[in-house]
Amino acid sequence: MSNQQNYGDTIPLRSTHLHSSSSQSDIDEIENLIHSSLSSSSPVVPSPVPPASSARTPSPPRAQIPVSSSLPPLPPTSHKPLPIPVVPSVHIPAAPPVPSSSNPRSGIEGFGPPPNTLTEPVWDTVKRDLSRIVSNLKLVVFPNPYREDPGKALRDWDLWGPFFFIVFLGLVLSWSASVKKSEVFAVAFAVLAAGAVILTLNVLLLGGHIIFFQSLSLLGYCLFPLDIGALICLMKDNVILKIIVVSVTLAWSSWAAYPFMSMAVNPRRKALALYPVFLMYVSVGFLIIAID
Amino acid sequence: MDPNQPVTENYSNPKTCFFHVLFKAAALAFYILSAIFFNSFVIIFVVTVLLAALDFWVVKNVSGRILVGLRWWNEINDLGESVWRFECLDQESLARMNKKDSWLFWWTMYLAAVAWIILGIFSLIRFQADYLLVVGVCLTLSIANIIGFTKCRKDAKKQIQEFATQTIASRFSSTLQSAFSVI
Repeated sequence: MSNQQNYGDTIPLRSTHLHSSSSQSDIDEIENLIHSSLSSSSPVVPSPVPPASSARTPSPPRAQIPVSSSLPPLPPTSHKPLPIPVVPSVHIPAAPPVPSSSNPRSGIEGFGPPPNTLTEPVWDTVKRDLSRIVSNLKLVVFPNPYREDPGKALRDWDLWGPFFFIVFLGLVLSWSASVKKSEVFAVAFAVLAAGAVILTLNVLLLGGHIIFFQSLSLLGYCLFPLDIGALICLMKDNVILKIIVVSVTLAWSSWAAYPFMSMAVNPRRKALALYPVFLMYVSVGFLIIAID
Repeated sequence: MDPNQPVTENYSNPKTCFFHVLFKAAALAFYILSAIFFNSFVIIFVVTVLLAALDFWVVKNVSGRILVGLRWWNEINDLGESVWRFECLDQESLARMNKKDSWLFWWTMYLAAVAWIILGIFSLIRFQADYLLVVGVCLTLSIANIIGFTKCRKDAKKQIQEFATQTIASRFSSTLQSAFSVI
């Protein structure tokens, strides 16, 4: 009788229990316990608790820059694994973190949201962030079924992709310049970065609904075609070719940015929101052509 | 282990501490020393900003987790609103965190930000707009991390308090229940 405790009480204890051993099997046991009690006591199981083996898989509930984001979250790197070995102490024998998200479910929610991101190995974090960059790029720049629903498409924004694209564009422009390389780079970077911020503010001031970082992220990813164009122009110095390449990539960039920007504002103000974006890409295009 | 040795707390995660400091120091050192060796602003800019970005990532994703058990990020929920999430380890683990680790974590973050501010003032005095750009970017990254983790810590403290009151309340009620059932 007195030993019988409802789960509301055992939850605080789970942490102490788990601390005694750091093996994943303990967590499995406890989860099974809770599963069985849940399924017997109530027909409704909260959100599906994933098997512990997949507890390490990706991130935050939904579907992780920036890195992380966050505030100007410029999370992760691209290429090589960071020279950080997987620190063994990462498997902190801790219970799943207490999420600050308001969970309406009752006491068991400690196990609910799977993302145990606090104890995942470093390599997982790197991989997660890298795959996020790739998927964002695909969503924004290439045709895909989510294009007409921009809210869904760039939900997982990150600023790493844009960061690398802007730096890359600056580098290519600077490389193609025969004089004043430093100024070219600085100007390109500043114009692109400031331009993205100003364009976002423009949308917000027009009464549009877009999240600041989402929009920055979007405008950065849309630079990808221009990056390719700049690279091609770097390699071939023919003016006609340059004009053709730049026009094509310019059109591609604008096409990529169009749905996101237009969805965000009132239909009557679409042109007002889109025109500056187009203008910015045109000016970058001119930079690419004019550099000799 | 020598039983007569006084118990001194050492860094429990030396590698992580090392990397936490490494990128910050590298970015600052490169920026300061590069003027001597390199003539090209582009290299200075790219390398410094890259190191600063790496440092941002390391602090946010690795050392924050390991040294102080905190993490923060941003999500966009189904309604299309942006939500800042703060995550922390439960109280027991937090209490067990190495004091030296967390001291190092917080102080190096603050010191790095202060150093960038000072460098920014220098470049402002010399009217070097392009170097100011570099400093601006690095400073933004440092401050972002500081703000994120500070909020995370406050959130953690708040949660601990709520948790404690909740535990006390539930213990109290279960004690009452058992007391009444005995009667």
